[in-house]
Amino acid sequence: MVEFSHLTKTYKKRNVVDGFSLVVDVPIFGFLGQNGAGKTTIMKMIVGLLAPTSGTITIDGVASTNEASKKKMGYMPETPYFYERMTGLEFMRFCDELDGSEHARSKKGRIAHYESILKKVGIFNARNAEIKTYSKGMRQRLGFAQALVNDPEYLFLDEPLDGLDPIGRREMKEVMLDLKKEGRKVFLNTHILYDVEETCDAVGIIHEGHLLYAGPVKAFTAGKHLEERFMETVAAHEKTLAVNARQ
Amino acid sequence: MRNIWTIARNTFKLEVRDKILYGIIIFAILYIFFEIFLGDLVLKELPMVKSFGLTGIYFFNAIIALFLGTTSFFKDIDRKVVYFIISKPVSRAQFLLGKFFGLCLVLLMTTAVLAVAYIALIAYEQGGFDVLGLAAIFMQYLEMALFLAFAIFVSTFSSSLLSIVYTSAVFFLGHIVSALIADAQAVKITGVKFILVEIFYYVFPNLEKFDVRNLAIHDVATPALSVVLALAYAVAYITFLLSASVWIFNKKEI
Repeated sequence: MVEFSHLTKTYKKRNVVDGFSLVVDVPIFGFLGQNGAGKTTIMKMIVGLLAPTSGTITIDGVASTNEASKKKMGYMPETPYFYERMTGLEFMRFCDELDGSEHARSKKGRIAHYESILKKVGIFNARNAEIKTYSKGMRQRLGFAQALVNDPEYLFLDEPLDGLDPIGRREMKEVMLDLKKEGRKVFLNTHILYDVEETCDAVGIIHEGHLLYAGPVKAFTAGKHLEERFMETVAAHEKTLAVNARQ
Repeated sequence: MRNIWTIARNTFKLEVRDKILYGIIIFAILYIFFEIFLGDLVLKELPMVKSFGLTGIYFFNAIIALFLGTTSFFKDIDRKVVYFIISKPVSRAQFLLGKFFGLCLVLLMTTAVLAVAYIALIAYEQGGFDVLGLAAIFMQYLEMALFLAFAIFVSTFSSSLLSIVYTSAVFFLGHIVSALIADAQAVKITGVKFILVEIFYYVFPNLEKFDVRNLAIHDVATPALSVVLALAYAVAYITFLLSASVWIFNKKEI
Protein backbone atom coordinates (compact mmCIF):
# COMPACT_ATOMS: atom_id res chain seq x y z
CA MET A 1 0.00 0.00 0.00
CA VAL A 2 1.30 3.43 -0.96
CA GLU A 3 0.22 6.35 1.15
CA PHE A 4 0.69 10.04 0.41
CA SER A 5 0.02 12.35 3.31
CA HIS A 6 -0.31 16.14 2.89
CA LEU A 7 2.38 16.09 0.23
CA THR A 8 3.48 19.51 -0.98
CA LYS A 9 6.25 20.59 -3.30
CA THR A 10 7.01 24.25 -3.72
CA TYR A 11 9.17 25.87 -6.40
CA LYS A 12 9.80 29.58 -6.13
CA LYS A 13 6.77 30.11 -3.88
CA ARG A 14 4.52 28.16 -6.28
CA ASN A 15 3.00 24.90 -5.09
CA VAL A 16 3.38 22.42 -7.94
CA VAL A 17 1.98 19.72 -5.65
CA ASP A 18 -0.40 21.02 -3.05
CA GLY A 19 -1.56 19.05 0.01
CA PHE A 20 -1.74 15.78 -1.90
CA SER A 21 -3.17 12.98 0.24
CA LEU A 22 -4.07 9.56 -1.13
CA VAL A 23 -3.97 5.87 -0.26
CA VAL A 24 -3.41 3.50 -3.16
CA ASP A 25 -3.92 -0.22 -2.87
CA VAL A 26 -5.02 -1.43 -6.30
CA PRO A 27 -3.08 -3.48 -8.86
CA ILE A 28 -2.78 -0.78 -11.54
CA PHE A 29 -3.24 2.85 -10.62
CA GLY A 30 -3.05 5.63 -13.18
CA PHE A 31 -2.03 9.20 -12.40
CA LEU A 32 -3.79 11.19 -15.04
CA GLY A 33 -3.24 14.85 -15.75
CA GLN A 34 -2.17 17.41 -18.30
CA ASN A 35 1.48 18.25 -18.91
CA GLY A 36 2.77 20.14 -15.87
CA ALA A 37 -0.01 18.86 -13.59
CA GLY A 38 2.53 17.55 -11.07
CA LYS A 39 2.53 13.83 -11.94
CA THR A 40 6.26 13.56 -12.61
CA THR A 41 7.08 15.65 -9.54
CA ILE A 42 5.08 13.23 -7.38
CA MET A 43 6.79 10.22 -8.93
CA LYS A 44 10.22 11.80 -8.44
CA MET A 45 9.37 12.38 -4.78
CA ILE A 46 8.33 8.74 -4.39
CA VAL A 47 11.71 7.46 -5.59
CA GLY A 48 13.79 10.12 -3.84
CA LEU A 49 14.88 12.25 -6.79
CA LEU A 50 13.11 15.22 -5.24
CA ALA A 51 12.48 15.99 -1.59
CA PRO A 52 8.96 17.06 -0.59
CA THR A 53 8.63 20.55 0.85
CA SER A 54 6.28 18.96 3.38
CA GLY A 55 4.32 15.75 3.82
CA THR A 56 5.24 12.10 3.61
CA ILE A 57 5.11 9.14 1.24
CA THR A 58 5.17 5.62 2.64
CA ILE A 59 5.20 2.17 1.08
CA ASP A 60 3.73 -0.48 3.36
CA GLY A 61 4.20 1.94 6.23
CA VAL A 62 7.88 2.68 5.56
CA ALA A 63 9.19 5.94 4.04
CA SER A 64 9.45 5.49 0.28
CA THR A 65 13.04 6.72 0.22
CA ASN A 66 14.10 4.17 2.83
CA GLU A 67 16.43 1.45 1.51
CA ALA A 68 13.90 -1.27 2.37
CA SER A 69 11.23 0.51 0.31
CA LYS A 70 13.59 1.11 -2.60
CA LYS A 71 14.38 -2.60 -2.74
CA LYS A 72 10.68 -3.21 -3.30
CA MET A 73 10.33 -0.77 -6.16
CA GLY A 74 11.19 -0.40 -9.79
CA TYR A 75 11.18 3.00 -11.46
CA MET A 76 11.12 4.04 -15.06
CA PRO A 77 11.74 7.77 -15.61
CA GLU A 78 10.03 9.81 -18.29
CA THR A 79 12.17 9.79 -21.47
CA PRO A 80 14.90 7.56 -20.07
CA TYR A 81 18.56 8.34 -20.74
CA PHE A 82 21.28 5.71 -20.58
CA TYR A 83 25.00 5.17 -20.72
CA GLU A 84 25.26 5.12 -24.49
CA ARG A 85 28.38 2.96 -24.68
CA MET A 86 26.81 0.15 -22.65
CA THR A 87 24.90 -2.73 -24.18
CA GLY A 88 21.33 -3.46 -23.07
CA LEU A 89 22.47 -6.55 -21.21
CA GLU A 90 25.28 -4.67 -19.44
CA PHE A 91 22.83 -2.01 -18.35
CA MET A 92 20.51 -4.64 -16.90
CA ARG A 93 23.41 -6.14 -14.94
CA PHE A 94 24.50 -2.73 -13.68
CA CYS A 95 20.98 -1.96 -12.41
CA ASP A 96 20.71 -5.40 -10.82
CA GLU A 97 23.99 -4.93 -8.97
CA LEU A 98 22.82 -1.57 -7.66
CA ASP A 99 19.67 -3.18 -6.35
CA GLY A 100 21.77 -5.74 -4.54
CA SER A 101 19.47 -8.46 -5.78
CA GLU A 102 22.01 -10.16 -8.05
CA HIS A 103 23.21 -12.50 -5.29
CA ALA A 104 19.84 -14.23 -5.26
CA ARG A 105 20.83 -15.99 -8.50
CA SER A 106 23.84 -17.78 -9.92
CA LYS A 107 25.78 -16.04 -12.70
CA LYS A 108 24.01 -18.13 -15.35
CA GLY A 109 20.70 -17.60 -13.62
CA ARG A 110 21.25 -13.85 -13.64
CA ILE A 111 21.94 -13.70 -17.37
CA ALA A 112 18.86 -15.88 -17.98
CA HIS A 113 16.84 -13.50 -15.79
CA TYR A 114 17.99 -10.39 -17.71
CA GLU A 115 17.36 -12.11 -21.01
CA SER A 116 13.88 -13.21 -20.02
CA ILE A 117 12.98 -9.61 -19.14
CA LEU A 118 14.47 -8.31 -22.37
CA LYS A 119 12.43 -10.93 -24.24
CA LYS A 120 9.31 -9.86 -22.38
CA VAL A 121 9.76 -6.22 -23.44
CA GLY A 122 10.79 -7.17 -26.98
CA ILE A 123 14.46 -6.12 -27.24
CA PHE A 124 16.15 -9.48 -26.69
CA ASN A 125 17.74 -9.43 -30.16
CA ALA A 126 19.40 -6.09 -29.42
CA ARG A 127 20.73 -7.15 -26.01
CA ASN A 128 24.38 -7.11 -27.08
CA ALA A 129 24.14 -3.92 -29.14
CA GLU A 130 25.31 -0.60 -27.69
CA ILE A 131 22.44 1.53 -26.42
CA LYS A 132 23.52 4.38 -28.69
CA THR A 133 22.21 2.27 -31.60
CA TYR A 134 18.75 1.88 -30.00
CA SER A 135 15.69 3.64 -31.38
CA LYS A 136 13.45 5.76 -29.12
CA GLY A 137 11.03 2.86 -28.71
CA MET A 138 13.82 0.45 -27.81
CA ARG A 139 15.13 2.86 -25.19
CA GLN A 140 11.64 3.08 -23.73
CA ARG A 141 11.49 -0.71 -23.57
CA LEU A 142 14.92 -0.89 -21.92
CA GLY A 143 13.79 1.70 -19.38
CA PHE A 144 10.84 -0.57 -18.62
CA ALA A 145 13.07 -3.66 -18.49
CA GLN A 146 15.51 -2.24 -15.94
CA ALA A 147 12.59 -1.41 -13.65
CA LEU A 148 11.77 -5.14 -13.55
CA VAL A 149 15.28 -6.39 -12.83
CA ASN A 150 14.84 -6.71 -9.05
CA ASP A 151 11.41 -8.39 -9.26
CA PRO A 152 9.76 -5.35 -7.65
CA GLU A 153 6.52 -5.44 -5.73
CA TYR A 154 5.79 -1.86 -6.81
CA LEU A 155 6.46 -0.37 -10.21
CA PHE A 156 6.47 3.37 -10.82
CA LEU A 157 6.32 4.10 -14.53
CA ASP A 158 6.47 7.67 -15.80
CA GLU A 159 4.87 7.91 -19.25
CA PRO A 160 6.01 4.36 -20.15
CA LEU A 161 4.16 4.24 -23.46
CA ASP A 162 5.56 7.47 -24.89
CA GLY A 163 7.49 7.00 -28.10
CA LEU A 164 6.16 3.51 -28.75
CA ASP A 165 4.41 2.52 -31.96
CA PRO A 166 0.91 0.97 -31.72
CA ILE A 167 2.29 -2.58 -31.55
CA GLY A 168 4.79 -1.53 -28.88
CA ARG A 169 2.05 0.13 -26.85
CA ARG A 170 -0.06 -3.00 -27.04
CA GLU A 171 2.88 -5.18 -25.97
CA MET A 172 3.79 -2.97 -23.02
CA LYS A 173 0.19 -2.87 -21.84
CA GLU A 174 0.13 -6.66 -21.97
CA VAL A 175 3.31 -6.73 -19.87
CA MET A 176 1.60 -4.48 -17.32
CA LEU A 177 -1.42 -6.76 -17.21
CA ASP A 178 0.90 -9.75 -16.75
CA LEU A 179 2.57 -7.94 -13.84
CA LYS A 180 -0.86 -7.42 -12.33
CA LYS A 181 -1.53 -11.17 -12.61
CA GLU A 182 1.77 -11.81 -10.82
CA GLY A 183 0.52 -9.69 -7.91
CA ARG A 184 2.70 -6.64 -8.51
CA LYS A 185 1.38 -3.13 -8.19
CA VAL A 186 1.84 -0.66 -11.00
CA PHE A 187 1.70 3.12 -10.79
CA LEU A 188 1.38 4.68 -14.16
CA ASN A 189 1.82 8.34 -15.06
CA THR A 190 0.18 9.27 -18.30
CA HIS A 191 -1.70 11.97 -20.10
CA ILE A 192 -3.09 9.47 -22.60
CA LEU A 193 -6.64 8.71 -21.50
CA TYR A 194 -7.08 5.63 -23.64
CA ASP A 195 -4.17 3.88 -21.87
CA VAL A 196 -5.80 4.49 -18.51
CA GLU A 197 -9.16 3.15 -19.62
CA GLU A 198 -7.55 0.01 -20.95
CA THR A 199 -5.18 -0.86 -18.14
CA CYS A 200 -5.97 0.86 -14.85
CA ASP A 201 -8.16 -0.37 -12.01
CA ALA A 202 -8.25 3.06 -10.41
CA VAL A 203 -7.29 6.54 -11.44
CA GLY A 204 -6.12 9.74 -9.78
CA ILE A 205 -6.92 12.95 -11.62
CA ILE A 206 -4.33 15.63 -10.95
CA HIS A 207 -4.58 19.22 -12.02
CA GLU A 208 -2.08 21.93 -11.10
CA GLY A 209 -0.85 19.90 -8.16
CA HIS A 210 -4.32 19.19 -6.74
CA LEU A 211 -5.91 15.78 -6.58
CA LEU A 212 -9.39 16.21 -8.09
CA TYR A 213 -10.52 12.61 -8.05
CA ALA A 214 -9.24 9.23 -6.91
CA GLY A 215 -11.13 6.00 -7.34
CA PRO A 216 -12.25 3.33 -9.80
CA VAL A 217 -12.19 4.30 -13.46
CA LYS A 218 -15.74 3.07 -14.04
CA ALA A 219 -17.12 5.06 -11.13
CA PHE A 220 -15.39 8.15 -12.53
CA THR A 221 -16.60 7.80 -16.10
CA ALA A 222 -20.15 6.84 -15.07
CA GLY A 223 -21.01 5.74 -18.59
CA LYS A 224 -19.37 8.72 -20.30
CA HIS A 225 -16.10 8.83 -22.17
CA LEU A 226 -13.07 9.28 -19.90
CA GLU A 227 -11.98 12.28 -21.95
CA GLU A 228 -15.33 13.97 -21.47
CA ARG A 229 -15.31 13.32 -17.70
CA PHE A 230 -11.72 14.46 -17.40
CA MET A 231 -12.50 17.76 -19.14
CA GLU A 232 -15.61 18.28 -17.00
CA THR A 233 -13.67 17.65 -13.79
CA VAL A 234 -10.86 20.03 -14.70
CA ALA A 235 -13.33 22.70 -15.85
CA ALA A 236 -15.34 22.37 -12.61
CA HIS A 237 -12.16 22.76 -10.56
CA GLU A 238 -11.09 25.86 -12.47
CA LYS A 239 -14.55 27.35 -12.07
CA THR A 240 -14.40 26.78 -8.30
CA LEU A 241 -10.97 28.42 -8.16
CA ALA A 242 -12.24 31.41 -10.13
CA VAL A 243 -15.25 31.82 -7.81
CA ASN A 244 -13.00 31.57 -4.75
CA ALA A 245 -10.63 34.14 -6.22
CA ARG A 246 -13.49 36.60 -6.81
CA GLN A 247 -14.62 36.20 -3.19
CA MET B 1 30.82 -0.01 -0.05
CA ARG B 2 29.35 -2.45 -2.58
CA ASN B 3 27.41 0.29 -4.35
CA ILE B 4 30.46 2.56 -4.47
CA TRP B 5 32.49 -0.25 -6.01
CA THR B 6 29.73 -1.07 -8.54
CA ILE B 7 29.53 2.56 -9.67
CA ALA B 8 33.34 2.96 -9.68
CA ARG B 9 33.79 -0.16 -11.79
CA ASN B 10 31.06 0.92 -14.17
CA THR B 11 32.54 4.42 -14.48
CA PHE B 12 35.94 2.92 -15.25
CA LYS B 13 34.51 0.56 -17.87
CA LEU B 14 32.61 3.35 -19.61
CA GLU B 15 35.43 5.88 -19.60
CA VAL B 16 38.02 3.48 -20.99
CA ARG B 17 35.69 2.92 -23.93
CA ASP B 18 35.97 6.60 -24.78
CA LYS B 19 37.93 7.16 -27.97
CA ILE B 20 39.00 10.63 -26.81
CA LEU B 21 40.85 9.04 -23.89
CA TYR B 22 42.65 6.64 -26.21
CA GLY B 23 43.57 9.55 -28.46
CA ILE B 24 45.18 11.40 -25.54
CA ILE B 25 47.04 8.28 -24.32
CA ILE B 26 48.38 7.44 -27.79
CA PHE B 27 49.47 11.03 -28.28
CA ALA B 28 51.18 11.02 -24.85
CA ILE B 29 53.05 7.78 -25.62
CA LEU B 30 54.16 9.15 -28.97
CA TYR B 31 55.32 12.30 -27.17
CA ILE B 32 57.36 10.28 -24.67
CA PHE B 33 59.01 8.11 -27.33
CA PHE B 34 59.60 11.11 -29.54
CA GLU B 35 62.30 11.99 -27.01
CA ILE B 36 64.44 9.18 -28.40
CA PHE B 37 64.82 11.19 -31.60
CA LEU B 38 64.75 14.55 -29.85
CA GLY B 39 67.43 13.33 -27.43
CA ASP B 40 69.74 12.55 -30.32
CA LEU B 41 69.12 15.91 -31.87
CA VAL B 42 68.96 18.47 -29.07
CA LEU B 43 68.49 17.13 -25.54
CA LYS B 44 71.72 15.15 -25.33
CA GLU B 45 71.64 14.96 -21.54
CA LEU B 46 69.61 12.47 -19.49
CA PRO B 47 68.15 15.04 -17.04
CA MET B 48 66.62 16.82 -20.01
CA VAL B 49 65.13 13.58 -21.27
CA LYS B 50 63.72 12.83 -17.79
CA SER B 51 62.34 16.33 -17.45
CA PHE B 52 60.71 16.11 -20.85
CA GLY B 53 59.19 12.69 -20.02
CA LEU B 54 57.90 13.51 -16.53
CA THR B 55 56.47 16.84 -17.64
CA GLY B 56 54.77 15.05 -20.53
CA ILE B 57 53.12 12.54 -18.20
CA TYR B 58 52.06 15.38 -15.91
CA PHE B 59 50.67 17.49 -18.73
CA PHE B 60 48.69 14.71 -20.41
CA ASN B 61 47.33 13.38 -17.11
CA ALA B 62 46.24 16.91 -16.19
CA ILE B 63 44.32 17.10 -19.48
CA ILE B 64 42.71 13.71 -18.79
CA ALA B 65 41.85 14.66 -15.18
CA LEU B 66 40.33 17.95 -16.33
CA PHE B 67 38.38 16.24 -19.11
CA LEU B 68 37.07 13.41 -16.89
CA GLY B 69 36.47 15.45 -13.75
CA THR B 70 34.47 18.17 -15.42
CA THR B 71 32.38 15.98 -17.73
CA SER B 72 31.75 12.52 -16.27
CA PHE B 73 29.82 13.45 -13.12
CA PHE B 74 28.11 16.45 -14.72
CA LYS B 75 26.94 14.42 -17.74
CA ASP B 76 25.27 11.81 -15.53
CA ILE B 77 23.25 14.55 -13.85
CA ASP B 78 22.61 16.61 -16.97
CA ARG B 79 21.58 13.62 -19.09
CA LYS B 80 19.53 12.25 -16.21
CA VAL B 81 21.19 8.82 -16.19
CA VAL B 82 21.44 9.42 -12.47
CA TYR B 83 17.66 8.89 -12.23
CA PHE B 84 18.16 5.16 -12.68
CA ILE B 85 20.86 5.06 -10.03
CA ILE B 86 19.37 7.22 -7.28
CA SER B 87 16.00 5.48 -7.58
CA LYS B 88 17.76 2.22 -6.58
CA PRO B 89 18.89 1.63 -3.00
CA VAL B 90 21.87 3.93 -3.63
CA SER B 91 22.57 7.14 -1.75
CA ARG B 92 23.78 10.28 -3.47
CA ALA B 93 27.01 10.07 -1.48
CA GLN B 94 27.61 6.54 -2.79
CA PHE B 95 27.01 7.71 -6.35
CA LEU B 96 29.39 10.64 -6.05
CA LEU B 97 32.11 8.60 -4.34
CA GLY B 98 31.69 5.83 -6.90
CA LYS B 99 32.20 8.32 -9.71
CA PHE B 100 35.29 9.75 -8.01
CA PHE B 101 36.94 6.39 -7.38
CA GLY B 102 36.03 5.19 -10.88
CA LEU B 103 37.73 8.23 -12.40
CA CYS B 104 40.72 7.70 -10.08
CA LEU B 105 40.96 4.18 -11.51
CA VAL B 106 40.97 5.58 -15.05
CA LEU B 107 43.75 8.00 -14.07
CA LEU B 108 45.64 5.15 -12.43
CA MET B 109 45.42 3.19 -15.65
CA THR B 110 46.60 6.10 -17.82
CA THR B 111 49.38 6.92 -15.33
CA ALA B 112 50.50 3.29 -15.31
CA VAL B 113 50.56 3.11 -19.12
CA LEU B 114 52.53 6.35 -19.41
CA ALA B 115 54.83 5.34 -16.53
CA VAL B 116 55.69 2.08 -18.31
CA ALA B 117 56.49 4.06 -21.47
CA TYR B 118 58.66 6.47 -19.45
CA ILE B 119 60.50 3.74 -17.52
CA ALA B 120 61.16 1.90 -20.80
CA LEU B 121 62.49 5.09 -22.36
CA ILE B 122 64.84 5.84 -19.44
CA ALA B 123 66.00 2.21 -19.36
CA TYR B 124 66.79 2.51 -23.07
CA GLU B 125 68.63 5.80 -22.54
CA GLN B 126 70.58 4.99 -19.35
CA GLY B 127 70.21 1.23 -19.02
CA GLY B 128 68.68 1.38 -15.52
CA PHE B 129 65.40 1.53 -13.62
CA ASP B 130 64.37 5.08 -12.70
CA VAL B 131 62.95 4.58 -9.20
CA LEU B 132 63.04 8.28 -8.43
CA GLY B 133 61.12 9.00 -11.61
CA LEU B 134 58.51 6.51 -10.49
CA ALA B 135 58.24 8.27 -7.11
CA ALA B 136 57.74 11.58 -8.94
CA ILE B 137 54.99 9.98 -11.06
CA PHE B 138 53.30 8.71 -7.87
CA MET B 139 53.33 12.25 -6.45
CA GLN B 140 51.90 13.54 -9.72
CA TYR B 141 49.13 10.96 -9.42
CA LEU B 142 48.23 12.28 -5.96
CA GLU B 143 48.01 15.78 -7.39
CA MET B 144 45.78 14.55 -10.20
CA ALA B 145 43.46 12.78 -7.73
CA LEU B 146 43.13 16.05 -5.83
CA PHE B 147 42.58 17.90 -9.09
CA LEU B 148 39.85 15.38 -9.98
CA ALA B 149 38.13 15.85 -6.60
CA PHE B 150 38.16 19.60 -7.17
CA ALA B 151 36.66 19.20 -10.65
CA ILE B 152 33.85 17.02 -9.24
CA PHE B 153 33.27 19.51 -6.43
CA VAL B 154 32.85 22.34 -8.95
CA SER B 155 30.61 20.13 -11.13
CA THR B 156 28.12 19.82 -8.26
CA PHE B 157 27.12 23.47 -8.67
CA SER B 158 28.16 24.61 -12.13
CA SER B 159 27.98 23.62 -15.77
CA SER B 160 30.63 21.57 -17.52
CA LEU B 161 32.11 24.58 -19.30
CA LEU B 162 32.31 26.70 -16.14
CA SER B 163 33.81 23.73 -14.28
CA ILE B 164 36.64 23.68 -16.83
CA VAL B 165 37.24 27.40 -16.25
CA TYR B 166 37.13 27.17 -12.43
CA THR B 167 39.18 23.98 -12.22
CA SER B 168 41.82 25.33 -14.59
CA ALA B 169 42.02 28.53 -12.53
CA VAL B 170 42.49 26.52 -9.34
CA PHE B 171 45.14 24.41 -11.05
CA PHE B 172 47.04 27.60 -11.86
CA LEU B 173 46.51 29.14 -8.39
CA GLY B 174 47.47 25.87 -6.73
CA HIS B 175 50.90 26.18 -8.24
CA ILE B 176 51.51 29.77 -7.22
CA VAL B 177 50.05 29.97 -3.69
CA SER B 178 53.27 28.89 -1.95
CA ALA B 179 55.34 31.32 -4.05
CA LEU B 180 52.75 34.02 -3.39
CA ILE B 181 52.97 33.78 0.40
CA ALA B 182 56.76 33.55 0.26
CA ASP B 183 56.91 36.71 -1.86
CA ALA B 184 54.44 38.46 0.45
CA GLN B 185 56.65 37.67 3.43
CA ALA B 186 59.79 38.70 1.55
CA VAL B 187 58.44 42.14 0.64
CA LYS B 188 56.85 42.41 4.11
CA ILE B 189 53.23 42.94 3.06
CA THR B 190 51.04 43.52 6.14
CA GLY B 191 47.42 44.17 7.09
CA VAL B 192 44.46 43.26 4.91
CA LYS B 193 46.63 42.48 1.89
CA PHE B 194 48.58 39.87 3.81
CA ILE B 195 45.37 38.38 5.23
CA LEU B 196 44.08 38.03 1.67
CA VAL B 197 47.27 36.27 0.64
CA GLU B 198 46.92 33.98 3.66
CA ILE B 199 43.31 33.19 2.76
CA PHE B 200 44.50 32.30 -0.76
CA TYR B 201 47.20 30.12 0.72
CA TYR B 202 44.92 28.19 3.05
CA VAL B 203 41.83 27.93 0.85
CA PHE B 204 43.38 26.83 -2.44
CA PRO B 205 45.21 23.53 -2.64
CA ASN B 206 48.97 23.83 -2.55
CA LEU B 207 49.83 21.72 -5.58
CA GLU B 208 53.54 22.49 -5.33
CA LYS B 209 53.69 19.94 -2.50
CA PHE B 210 53.45 17.25 -5.14
CA ASP B 211 56.07 18.58 -7.51
CA VAL B 212 59.24 16.55 -6.96
CA ARG B 213 60.15 16.31 -10.63
CA ASN B 214 63.24 18.46 -10.24
CA LEU B 215 64.58 16.14 -7.54
CA ALA B 216 63.96 13.07 -9.65
CA ILE B 217 65.54 14.66 -12.72
CA HIS B 218 68.76 15.31 -10.80
CA ASP B 219 68.76 11.90 -9.11
CA VAL B 220 67.98 13.32 -5.66
CA ALA B 221 65.69 11.10 -3.59
CA THR B 222 62.48 12.67 -2.30
CA PRO B 223 62.55 12.64 1.52
CA ALA B 224 60.17 9.98 2.84
CA LEU B 225 58.60 12.56 5.15
CA SER B 226 57.72 14.77 2.17
CA VAL B 227 55.98 11.86 0.49
CA VAL B 228 54.05 11.00 3.67
CA LEU B 229 53.07 14.64 4.24
CA ALA B 230 52.00 15.05 0.62
CA LEU B 231 49.93 11.88 0.87
CA ALA B 232 48.30 13.07 4.11
CA TYR B 233 47.66 16.49 2.56
CA ALA B 234 46.06 14.94 -0.53
CA VAL B 235 43.87 12.60 1.54
CA ALA B 236 42.76 15.44 3.85
CA TYR B 237 42.03 17.86 1.02
CA ILE B 238 40.23 15.24 -1.08
CA THR B 239 38.14 14.21 1.96
CA PHE B 240 37.19 17.83 2.51
CA LEU B 241 36.30 18.38 -1.16
CA LEU B 242 34.25 15.19 -1.43
CA SER B 243 32.42 15.92 1.83
CA ALA B 244 31.54 19.39 0.56
CA SER B 245 30.48 17.88 -2.80
CA VAL B 246 28.20 15.35 -1.08
CA TRP B 247 26.69 18.10 1.06
CA ILE B 248 25.88 20.21 -2.02
CA PHE B 249 24.71 17.22 -4.07
CA ASN B 250 22.36 16.10 -1.28
CA LYS B 251 20.63 19.46 -1.44
CA LYS B 252 20.49 19.57 -5.23
CA GLU B 253 17.19 18.92 -6.99
CA ILE B 254 17.85 16.63 -9.90
